[in-house]
Amino acid sequence: MAGLAAANCRQNLAGPPAGGGGGDGSLHIYTWANYTDDGLAAAFTERTGIPVVIDIFDSNEVMLTRLQAGGGDAYSIIYPSDYMVSEMIDLGLLTELDKERLSGLENLKAKWRNPAYDPDNAHSVPFCWGTTGLLYNREAVPGTPTDWDFLWKNQAALSRRITMLDDMRETLGATLKSLGYSYNSNNPAEIEAAYKRLLELRPDIAAFKTTGFENELLGGDLSVSMAYSSDAIALTLEDNRMEYIIPASGASLWTDTLAIPATAPNPDAAYQWINFLLEPEVASAAVKRLLFATANQAAFDRLPAEIQGNEDLYPSEAILAKSEGIVAVDTASTDLFDQFWTKVTSA
Amino acid sequence: MREWGDEGMGGWGEIRILTAFAFLTLPTFLTLPTFLTLPTFLTLPMAPISSPKIPWAERLAPRRWLGPVVMLGPAGVWLLLLLVLPTLLILEISLVPGLRLGQPSGGYGLGNYLQILQPVYLRVIGRSLSFAVGSTLLCLVLGFPVAYWLALMSPQRWRNLLLVGFILPLWTSSLLRAYAWTAILRPSGVLNTIFTAVGLPAQAWLNTPTAVFIGLTYSFLPYMVLILYASLEKLDTRLLEAAADLGATPFQGFWKITIPQVLPGIAAGSLLVFISTLGDFVVPTLLGGASSMNISRLIYNQFLGPTRAWGFGSALSMLLILAVSLSIALLLRYGDKSTVTEPS
Amino acid sequence: MAQTVQATAVAPTTETQPDVELRQVLKTFGAEVAVRQLDLRVQPGEFFSILGPSGCGKTTILRMIAGFESPTAGEVLIQGANVSRVPAHRRPVNTVFQSYALFDHMTVRDNIAFGLKIRRMGSAQVRDRVAEALRLVRMEPMANRYPAQLSGGQQQRVALARALVNHPAVMLLDEPLGALDQKLRKQMQVELANLHRQLGITFIMVTHDQEEALSLSSRIAVMNNGQIEQVGTPSDIYDRPHTPFVADFIGDTNLFPGRVDRVYPAQVQVTTESGLRVLAPAMTPAASPLQNIVVSVRPEKINLSLSAPGSEGNCYQGQVSHLMYLGTHLHCVVRLSSGEALTVRQPNRAEGALAVDTPVYVHWAAADCLVLDAA
Repeated sequence: MAGLAAANCRQNLAGPPAGGGGGDGSLHIYTWANYTDDGLAAAFTERTGIPVVIDIFDSNEVMLTRLQAGGGDAYSIIYPSDYMVSEMIDLGLLTELDKERLSGLENLKAKWRNPAYDPDNAHSVPFCWGTTGLLYNREAVPGTPTDWDFLWKNQAALSRRITMLDDMRETLGATLKSLGYSYNSNNPAEIEAAYKRLLELRPDIAAFKTTGFENELLGGDLSVSMAYSSDAIALTLEDNRMEYIIPASGASLWTDTLAIPATAPNPDAAYQWINFLLEPEVASAAVKRLLFATANQAAFDRLPAEIQGNEDLYPSEAILAKSEGIVAVDTASTDLFDQFWTKVTSA
Repeated sequence: MREWGDEGMGGWGEIRILTAFAFLTLPTFLTLPTFLTLPTFLTLPMAPISSPKIPWAERLAPRRWLGPVVMLGPAGVWLLLLLVLPTLLILEISLVPGLRLGQPSGGYGLGNYLQILQPVYLRVIGRSLSFAVGSTLLCLVLGFPVAYWLALMSPQRWRNLLLVGFILPLWTSSLLRAYAWTAILRPSGVLNTIFTAVGLPAQAWLNTPTAVFIGLTYSFLPYMVLILYASLEKLDTRLLEAAADLGATPFQGFWKITIPQVLPGIAAGSLLVFISTLGDFVVPTLLGGASSMNISRLIYNQFLGPTRAWGFGSALSMLLILAVSLSIALLLRYGDKSTVTEPS
Repeated sequence: MAQTVQATAVAPTTETQPDVELRQVLKTFGAEVAVRQLDLRVQPGEFFSILGPSGCGKTTILRMIAGFESPTAGEVLIQGANVSRVPAHRRPVNTVFQSYALFDHMTVRDNIAFGLKIRRMGSAQVRDRVAEALRLVRMEPMANRYPAQLSGGQQQRVALARALVNHPAVMLLDEPLGALDQKLRKQMQVELANLHRQLGITFIMVTHDQEEALSLSSRIAVMNNGQIEQVGTPSDIYDRPHTPFVADFIGDTNLFPGRVDRVYPAQVQVTTESGLRVLAPAMTPAASPLQNIVVSVRPEKINLSLSAPGSEGNCYQGQVSHLMYLGTHLHCVVRLSSGEALTVRQPNRAEGALAVDTPVYVHWAAADCLVLDAA
């Protein structure tokens, strides 16, 4: 799937989609896989009369590049993650939201009313959140993983049966965390230590993949994959040999948001989409179908107990306390991350 | 100080970057023929003009150049817009060290090129070359007997059908084909099921360079077979009779006559496969896993990965374009001998 | 079978071992018979031509001698050894191909040296032999050129040199001059004849050009439809053809198929279907009345006059129906009052009174006729 998505991206990047966004009155959405479905789009169209066109990206960077390389007027709604929201605000790529035109912000959980990545939700509305942990096949791992260092301790047994996320900050961050450092370290020595530790594991990593490990994991060809909770939970529900853990030393907490590009066509439709998703009924119905962790308290309250009690989706406060969100690091550290990430993946 | 891609949407910088980007992401099948036609385009209109016997007034007469210009104009505009300009833009971006989209950067310099000289990147380039050379040789070794059989030994009435059957895989998406190989090569996949069934040791080839060689060879074998077939089909078998007549065994005839006769085809097929595999992205990404970073994946990561180092990515692109151009120059020089030997 | 007897009977010497011998050779391609039960003996030093129309099987014979085809049945012997199953590269013969088949990726020198190098001859010796071959075909200045840079005649010479440099027991030439223009062909015929004389080895040439065969060969086999019609010296073939096909194929002739109705001591009288009576020499064995035979008379043996000739022999009245000016000759077609059309060849003399529709007399001596078996 990664390759398919990648090719899809390439295609999308090669030129704006036919119709070029706003001109045709429809709502063009650029989002992650699994965050919308036909039911959601159909309900919106029925309500507003606005047709919905959905394009998929598989990394924030692809989405950013697409927008920077001339796709700024192709989409009315994008779904950047937290740190990307900060970055895009700095680049002036996001519309400052007109709160007058939004309704239902009060439904958000208290934690997301004033997030660090976008104070006061000035440019983005939290949509869902999740963690990054380890997804494994119970029958294919020695013992029970509880923390990141499981990978290093069982390196030989897991040789080339591991995938890590093809995501610089997540994968280097998890390594930092396994060393007891912060995901958002600005300390060159710590970053270098993480690089060296990841390099140790590197020969036994089969691939850096964000998606596309599922079949091999189910088939037992892979033992453990670093995964976003949203992807992992879907798989654990599909097959009971699949387990997802949030590592004991802490994981990354991420938020995916709704935002409007600065040059978005049809902003009215964009505001309508955000308001639509903020509605508790709509949000809870979507969560029931798509199984993501909603940032909407009113929607959460409407969920059945078994979803509310799913610790993979909604981990305990104790674990959340040890986890951290990924935020932008200083330029020197960014350069170090870049350099070490390229070296690890090119080695 | 200048800022790239940050001049507001729709500005000149925007257009430049978009054009450069569009070019970078154009599939190989689109750019390769363009590359191949460029020299033809450049040399065609020269032929009548550079002839020494024609006086200048005559050379400049509209009827001499109007025809070629009208016929070649559209292709020329196409090439200018999609090849020459983007390449120049990439060249310009590559000369800005440390360029990141949306961030201020310094003036021109060779920093991006110097960065390529770091051992880790040289290893990536070496790996790309070994992928390309290795799969080219594999294609040649596997493709030659097939092409030979098709061109010289297969039943005439079935020949076209067999040929079509062989190149049929080309008509499916390269992505799907590479993806299918993951199902074959994974440890519990089709290949190991067969290996185990016949008593061979199971192999963990997926996510290793071996899988990349297999995938690249599979993907580009039909091109090799097609080109070798075209070359072998033209082979004058009377030359082999002549060689036998002069005492050459079939083996000697093959090495001294067949191979030299189809050498232009071998060169053309090999260079085409080499060029294609050098820049291939899909197969190393899908089959190679973490162990097969090659130059095109590295370029991809510079533009679409987290680092977003466009300057470095452009420098790598220029290197790849240079390597491909050199290969094409070799192709044109040695790919067809008839262009080299002038008649008496 | 009669032809075979003729072939051996005419062979110059009876006791020498033939250089090339075909015994009862049959060659079929699928349902098609290319060569049927053919016997042939070529003596050492001969310039032997196989002549026939295209598709008669002559090239197949050459290819069986060279080893590119193997006979379906029968034997091919070269210098007494049965080579029927010996591959081409182990036979002591070399071929000059109709298309030359020069190796265009090699220089002239390398083309010529190819056979010697294959035989692992020392480089000094190769150099000498190649130089000698180049000199023989007068191609020394072209040694370093590629075939594509040579004219047709030059390529022909290289092809010859490439074959003869190996000093083969037998040289096989497949329509060697077929691709050359008329003038070059004449010139190369002389060179071929000279080469044959200098080298003294056996040449076997396949050609469809009767003039070429007649002028070069010591003996000619005329082939038709996979069989040999006649083997003999050029004058045998021309002056004493055994079959109507040979008479017709070798030069022009006028044929009168008919029935013997009178037998004289030295002559026979033949009556054609249209009732024309032709006098011809007596046959051996003596013809019997009512036997079907064919009388042949060459166009150049027929005399043409405006007034009635007084001579004996065959004399008929007719009208000129076609007239062709051929420089040295006039070629006329004369329609006889009985209906036959005769081809007549007259020296181009100044009289020039002939025109279409001119009434003429044609006449020739009975001795100028040939009597052939009816096919």
